[in-house]
Formats: sequence, C-alpha cells, structure tokens
Amino acid sequence: MTSTFASPHGGNPAAGSHPAGPRTAAPPAVEAFEVSKVYGAGDAAVHALRGVDVAFATGAFTAIMGPSGSGKSTLMHCLAGLDTVSGGRVMIGDAEVTAMNDKQLTLLRRDRVGFIFQAFNLLPTLTAEQNILLPLELAGRPPHQQWFDQVIDVVGLRDRLGHRPNELSGGQQQRVACARALVAQPEVIFADEPTGNLDSRSGAEVLGFLRSSVREMGQTIVMVTHDPVAASYSDRVVFLRDGEIVTELHRPTPDTVLDRLKSLGA
Amino acid sequence: MLKTTLAGLRAHKLRLLLTGLAITLGVGFIAGTFVLTDTMDRGVAKTFAKSADRVDVAVVPKTRDDPDKGLPVGLLAKVRSVPGVTEAQGRVVGDTALLDRDGKAVGDMPTVGMSVPTGRLFRYEMENGRTPSGPGEVVLEKDLAKREGFRTGDTVTVLNAKNRPHRFTVVGIVDFGIDQEAGYRGAVGYDPATALKMTGARTFAEIDVAGGTVAAVRDALGPGDREVMTGEELGARLAKANGADTKIIKTGLLIFGFVAMLVSALVIYNTFSILIAQRMREMALLRCVGATRRQVFGGVLVEAAAVGLVGSLLGLLVGMGLGWGALAGINAAGMDLPLDGVTLAPRTIVVGLVVGVVVTVVSALLPARAATRVAPIAALRTDLEPGDGRFRLGWVRTLLTVVLGGVGLAVGTYGAIGMDKGQVAMYLVAASGAVFFLSVIVVMPALVRPLGRTVGALPARIGGVPARLAVANAQRAPRRTATTTIALTIGVGLMSLFAVVAASGKESSTQQLAKQFPVDFQIQTQFNAQEKDRHLPPALTQALRQRPEFTAVIEQREKETRAGGQETTVATLTGTAFGTLIKPDFTSGSAAGLKPGAAVVDGVTAKAMGLRAGSTVRLQTARGALPVTVAGVFKADDAPIVGFLLTEADFDRGYAVRGASTVYVKARDGVPAVSARKAVDEAIRPFPTARAASAAEIREQITKSVDMLLMIFGGLLGLAIVIALFGIANTLTLSVVERTRESALLRALGLTRRQLRRMLSVEALVMAVIGAVTGVVLGVVFGWAAVQAMSENSVFALPFGQIAGFIVLAALAGMLAAVLPARRAARTSIVESLAHD
Repeated sequence: MTSTFASPHGGNPAAGSHPAGPRTAAPPAVEAFEVSKVYGAGDAAVHALRGVDVAFATGAFTAIMGPSGSGKSTLMHCLAGLDTVSGGRVMIGDAEVTAMNDKQLTLLRRDRVGFIFQAFNLLPTLTAEQNILLPLELAGRPPHQQWFDQVIDVVGLRDRLGHRPNELSGGQQQRVACARALVAQPEVIFADEPTGNLDSRSGAEVLGFLRSSVREMGQTIVMVTHDPVAASYSDRVVFLRDGEIVTELHRPTPDTVLDRLKSLGA
Repeated sequence: MLKTTLAGLRAHKLRLLLTGLAITLGVGFIAGTFVLTDTMDRGVAKTFAKSADRVDVAVVPKTRDDPDKGLPVGLLAKVRSVPGVTEAQGRVVGDTALLDRDGKAVGDMPTVGMSVPTGRLFRYEMENGRTPSGPGEVVLEKDLAKREGFRTGDTVTVLNAKNRPHRFTVVGIVDFGIDQEAGYRGAVGYDPATALKMTGARTFAEIDVAGGTVAAVRDALGPGDREVMTGEELGARLAKANGADTKIIKTGLLIFGFVAMLVSALVIYNTFSILIAQRMREMALLRCVGATRRQVFGGVLVEAAAVGLVGSLLGLLVGMGLGWGALAGINAAGMDLPLDGVTLAPRTIVVGLVVGVVVTVVSALLPARAATRVAPIAALRTDLEPGDGRFRLGWVRTLLTVVLGGVGLAVGTYGAIGMDKGQVAMYLVAASGAVFFLSVIVVMPALVRPLGRTVGALPARIGGVPARLAVANAQRAPRRTATTTIALTIGVGLMSLFAVVAASGKESSTQQLAKQFPVDFQIQTQFNAQEKDRHLPPALTQALRQRPEFTAVIEQREKETRAGGQETTVATLTGTAFGTLIKPDFTSGSAAGLKPGAAVVDGVTAKAMGLRAGSTVRLQTARGALPVTVAGVFKADDAPIVGFLLTEADFDRGYAVRGASTVYVKARDGVPAVSARKAVDEAIRPFPTARAASAAEIREQITKSVDMLLMIFGGLLGLAIVIALFGIANTLTLSVVERTRESALLRALGLTRRQLRRMLSVEALVMAVIGAVTGVVLGVVFGWAAVQAMSENSVFALPFGQIAGFIVLAALAGMLAAVLPARRAARTSIVESLAHD
C-alpha cells in the first residue's frame, strides 16, 4: 500500500506503517471517567449516559456503535466539549474538558479538535477552500502550504476549491469537511455519522481517507456510526447500550460488527 | 383557517410584538401629536371659558388687529349707560417698552402695554399684590418679572409710545396666561386711563361688560363697525384664534408622522416577507391539507391585521406618553401650558387604530401573495439554504429604474438649474427627489452586493474571520438587505438634505454679509408694531459720528408708500454708501446711475412692477407723485433694501422721515473689536430702545436659528431612524433563527461567543452604513438641487462633519440594534442546534 499521507513533520514517531490495532503504549488521546448525562429532573429524568469509562488511543480509529437512543451521540458531544456532563470527567490529552468554561471549550475545539458532521458541515457563504481553512483562520494560524496541498490532492478537491457548497455534490461536500478536519491537524477528530447522507461509493471514499489518515500519519479519530460497514474501517469498535459501554471489538469486519449488534438486541 | 392563524400568533407572541413595534412607534407619534394638540386646545378653551364667565357682553371691532379701527373711546360711556349694565371697561393694548435695571429696553420686541380691568371683569390670575390704579402704578407679567428680577414694591421705568421714560411702582404680579402675546413678549399692565396715555392708543380693542344683555347693548349702540357678543362667544372666538397655532403644530408634526409610518410600512413589509419565506413549509403543509390559495392569503392578512391592531393599541399608549412628555418638556422650557391630564379624544383612537391596521395590512399584501405561490410539494422538500446572494434585475425593474431615475434626475436638474429660482422650483426639486427615491427602492437589491463589498472592505480587513463572514452574510439576501437599509435611507436622507440646505443657507448669508454688506455693526430699534415710531433719533447718528473709532456711520431711512399702483417701500442711504459700502450685484444698470431723479430697485420689486433699467415709475410722496427713472436693478437678497432707493436729496424732498430705521457702522482699520463694541455701546446708551448687533452676532444669530431648526427636524426625524433600526434588529433576529445551524457549526469549529456576537454586530453595521450612505448621497445631491433652486445668491455648502457624523451614528446605532439578536444567537446550545433538522 503506497502512502497517501506523509507527515509534514517527517519524523513523527506515530506515523508510518503500523498495523491496525490498539496501541497500548501511547497515552490515550481522549479518556472518559464515570461520565454520566441526565436530561430533565425527577420523574422525567432521562439517563443518557450512566457512568461511562472509556479511553481512545492516540493514533487509532475508534468507532462508537449502538442502537438508536443508546447515547452514542451524547457521548461524542460530551467527549468533544460540545455538551456538558452531569457527572464524571473527560480528558483530551492533558486537558480536563469537564473543568472548562465556555471560552476555554471554544478554544479547545478550535485548536485541538476537529469535527465532521453528518450534514451541514459547510458554511454556504464560503468557498470550499475558505471552508477548509476556516478553523486555522479562526485560530489565527497560517496554513502549512505543503500539508494543505497534500490534503487537497488526497481528497481530490483541487479543481473544486473555488466552488461554494451549493455547487458541490453531497460526497464532495463531505470530502471538504474531511479536508477541513485534517488540515488543522487536531489531536482528535470527532466524526458524527460522516457517511450517513452519502451513497455507498462516496461513503467508501470518505471512510478510506479517514482510515489512511490514521494509519499513515497517526491521526486520532473517534467516529459515531450505526453502519457496520463504516465501523469496519476502524481499528476498534465500542458498543453502547442504554448509556453504558457493554462490549468492544478489535479489528472489526462488517460481519463481526453485525453479529455483535445482533447479540445486543439492536 | 382563522383559528389556525390565531393559534399561530399565540404561539409566537414575541415575534408578533417585534413586528408590531414599528407600527407602535409610528402610531405612537401620530397619536402623540393629537394628544399634545388636543390637550393644548382644551387647556386654552378651558381658560377662555373661565374668562367668559366674568364677562356677560363683549363689544369688539369688526376688523381686528388694526389699532386705527378700534372702538372709539366715546363708545364706553354709551355702553355704561345701557340699562342693566353694572360695569363696563375698555381694553387697551399697545407697545410700552419696559427698561431693565441697566436702562435698556427688555427683549427683542417692546413689552406689551395693556389695561388691566378691575373688579369682576378682571379675568387673569393675580400671583400677588393687587390691580393697578392711578398714574403711578403698574402690574407686571409674571415671567417677565421673574426674568428681569422685579418684585412687587420695586420701581420700574417704562417708555411710552413716544419713547419717553415714565416711572411706576409695581403693585402686583399677574399671570396673563391666556394672552399669548403678553406671555411671549412680556406685559406691563396699567389702569385703563394710564394705559391709553402710555400706549398712545385712541381706541379700545374690546369693551367688556358686566350685566345687561347683548340685545340691549346692541340696540343702544346702533349700527356700526363692531360686533356685540356674549362672554361665551368671546371665549370661543379667542380660543379659536389660539387654536390656529396648534393647527400649524399639528400639521407640521403629522408630516413627520407620515414619514415615520412610511418607514414602518417598509419594516413591516420586510418582516412579513422574511417570515413567509421562513414558513414556506408551514404554508405548503396548509396547502397539502387542503387550504386554498385564498385561505392562505387571508390567513396572512388576518395575521397582519392582528399585528397591526396590537401594535396600534400599544401605539396609543405610547402616544399618550409622548404627548404628556412633550407638554412637560414645553413647560419645562419656560412656556406655561395648562396641564391637567392628557386628552385622548375618540378621534385619536380611531385615527391611530385605522392608520396602524391599514398600513400593516397593506404592507403585508405582497408577502401574502408570495405565500399563495408556495407549491404544496414544498412541504416535503428540505429547507432551502437562506440566500445565495444572487439577484437578477429583471426587465421590469430595469425599466422602472431607468424611467423613474431618469425622470427624477431630469426634473431635478431642470428645477435646480433651468428654472426661475423660488418656491415653484423648490417644490419641483422635492417632487423629483421623491421620484428618484422610488427608482432607488427598485434598484436597491442590485446595489446591495457592490455596496456591501465596498462598505464591508474595511471591517473585513481589520475584523478577522467574524467580520468577513458578516460582510458575506449581509449580502446573502439582497432583497431583504435592500428593504432593511432603505428604511434607514429615508430618515438619513432627509436629515442630510436638511443639513445641506441649512449649511448652505448659513454659508450663503455669511457670504452675503461679508461681500455685500461689509459693516461691523448694525443698530436698530426694538421692532415696534407702530411703524411711525420705529426710528432711531438723528441724535444717535450724531453721537456715533463723533466717535473716532468709526470711519463710516450710515443711516438707512425708509418710508412705506405706493408706486405704480402697488404698495412698496422707498429708502435712502447716507451719501454715497450705496455702491461703495453696500454694493449688491446688478442684473441691469448700475449703482453709478443713482443720481437725483433716478432710483435703483431690487429684482423682486422690479419683476412685480415690470421695471427695467431706463423705465420710469411714479412714486407717491407727501407732495404728490415723484417721477423717477430706474437706473438699475440689483439682486434682491444682496442688500438690506426692499423696494426703491433714492438719493438723500430726493428722499428728503418727498418724505418727512428724519429718523433712521437702521444705522450701519464701520470701524476704522486697526481698532480692536472690543474697543469698537464699547464705543458703540457708549454711544447708544442714552437711547434705551436702540440695540446694536455686530456682524459676528448677526452671523451667530442666523447660525443659531438655523441650527435650532435643524435640531428640531433632526429630533422629529429621529423617530423614523429609530423605527428603521428596529427594522435592522428585526431582520437580524429572523436571520439568526434561519442560521441557527450555521452558527452552531461555527461555534463547534471554534468561534467564540464574543466572535459570534461581533459577527452579527458587523453585519448590522454593514447594513446600517449601506442605508446611511445611500441616504447621504441622495440627501446631498437633492440638497444641492434644492439650494440651487432656492435663490440666485445661494451658495452650496457641504457640512462634512455632520454628514460623517450621520454615517458614524448610523453605524453605531446599527451595532446597537444587533445587541439583542446577537445575544440570542450566542446563547443557543450548539448540540441542540446541530441536532435540529
């Protein structure tokens, strides 16, 4: 397999041809301790998360799966500092997310986290290129030109840079979103059903980029999905049910994921 | 359908309120105008009714305001002898100048001298003391006394009609309240006999009678040039005369109310357009479940009517507050309006509600029609992205723009340059401005992008990503931005227009003063209603001429007379002052031709009489007609002379006027202004009614009065601007709702709350500046046209500071308007907004 990505920093020890699999040596990129989330109060209280303990390894591609209402999106929102927790702690690297105020959270998201959402990833007033560079501009960081060119070529958007989102197909839009997340080189990228709105070919392309960015330059990705095929691109799948982590799976294939889901009764 | 609409309204109370706010302010202003003038009218009527209680019968001359045609003094005895009459007193009114403690006449006009009736017929309020009786006693009007620091027991000096001083003891302070002139100029009250002597009046302005009947008095007096009426009728008549003033106030204020309603209509139209666009799915769903187009249309109009009704009802409350506030303000400023409860007449309620509801419904007509065009299938589609910034100027709009803009410009140019100067030209310019403005409304959506780019260039460069996003957002929905900004354009445009006209007026008069009228001081007497006594005594001129500080002391003498069958004025100036010191531009002939037997005449008079250089005209003099040849025609505004100017020799032959109406003084070069002023003051000290104004003071006076007028206009137009700002706030609030997910995405990507707020502020700023700049350009262009149309001599001046101030203020106000929408946007939870689909 030829390298799709070369690290801009050359000697990144995490980069290279590591085989798929959890890396227990490096400290986890994201960690949750006893995280709980309750909506409402009293009789109407809904426990979305019930004391979740989970760690996401650096340089790994982890998928979070679970039936509808299992709390997988809530978990991701709490991990990414988009939502507040009711109890427990979340760490991204050495930063305690759960202890931060809104301003700190904003800066954390801006400087250390990347996002790919299911839909509505792009600002309609900006061109593809402006969208990709938006997080860097918000942070006031100049883009790394070589890295930018590399990312653009990999996602194949060179001739679409000047287009606005409404001039791009759904797959192209999602590729722009991937490029945006990758260009900023965040510590972790959170992807929420990134292929949920795409046809299977476009979806496979996007997932391919995500996997190669993990394998070849050590990007950490946490992806929420309900699609066993999408999950099979990851190194490890964590299964959630009723707000609790019930099981996990290493080196998943669509079949093993499907079997495990069936066993969960989804 | 009605139920659905009303349920929708109940569910969106805040939206309803925000939409209605524009109407509330407009209706509030109109209602406030009525409340103010009604309350004033009622107060006046009430006081007059009170005074009518005291008078049973009143005799007044048929022709009022002409002192020579009053009631003969002898009539009073006749009235007194009418059976049943217990008391009758004649009312005397004239001018008697009160002197202040420095011996100068008080005020710009001499104080009113009037008789004060005694006993039952006394119809004023006594503040303290008693009514005057005998030749040594007076009462003073209360504000006058307060201003000049006189109290009961003080001794005052008052000049009689011949400007001779007389000393009196103040025996009382009176509130003449109902007599407007006494309130404005201040008044000195005497007993009737003294009043006749002091004012020099030979007739009564009114005879008030206690006891007796109208019929009895009328029979006793027989036919004549007079009317006999009851006290009530007198009260009603006086109240009506006063009401004429409130009518002018009312008309003036209602014009501004109209402007405010126009702006409100634009804001309402825009808000409804956006609301309909955002509720496409709701409309489509209604159509899906079987609502006809007519029902959808009706639904929107019912909503508009409800908004208009709620807004107007609130507007009536606001109006009562405004009316009360205005009354309190006027009283605080020193006036004395009767203030007993504000009056909300049924007429005010009806007008307010009808105007409010009709304007709202009419403004919603186009958006309602747009709502009917939604296809039922739209209910199933996902939301369209709000605005891609494109706008095609269709052929209808292009045609309208070209036609309206062309007609506006052509007519405006003709009015400004092609026509005779004057009122007609100015009206034409005003009309052309309105037509051109229509073309701007039509073309504005196409201008939003270029203007937005230009206006946004600077903020986008220095404001970082949020500002760049904001500038892009402002251009996203060109129609929406266009209407939002046009609302502001109206107010700012009119303000700029007034500012340009005012500045040009000031500049024109200053230049005229400097060029045509290079004197240092101008001395006049207090304006005196009796023409014959308006003169400055020759002794004053003598005194001035003896001072070494002055090089020239010029008398201007005037006499009203007739020429060529028309009333006119004939004047003369000392020696050769005309043409050397006072040198207007001539349209034909020249000042050199002013020799005995010749005259020069101003342009307006010349035009009215059909005179040119070389024409002959016969001036009426005390010794019969004096034929003179017109030696030249000068520009009317160039010199302080109206009518004909003769040589001194000719003037003296024809008229017996020895006193000057104005004396002009020119100081010697090198004499400091302070010394010159002191010399003038010393020379005029013995003449209490003479007042000197330096050229600088005259300029300052003009400047002050122009600025005052501009400030009043500005204050009144301020409302239209405030409404337009509510429009900006409204548009932004709705845009924020539309862009919830976009904002959430930006927040997720690391936009701080502060940056999000800044983004909306900059968007508002860009919109406000687009509106303000458009307004300023229109205001300046048509201000220029108006100045050109006004008069031959007007000079165009651009008040850069003010104009820049308008734009800066609009920008700041726009940002202020963004505060609430921005807070709302920043508060929204990211997770919820992203999840919403």
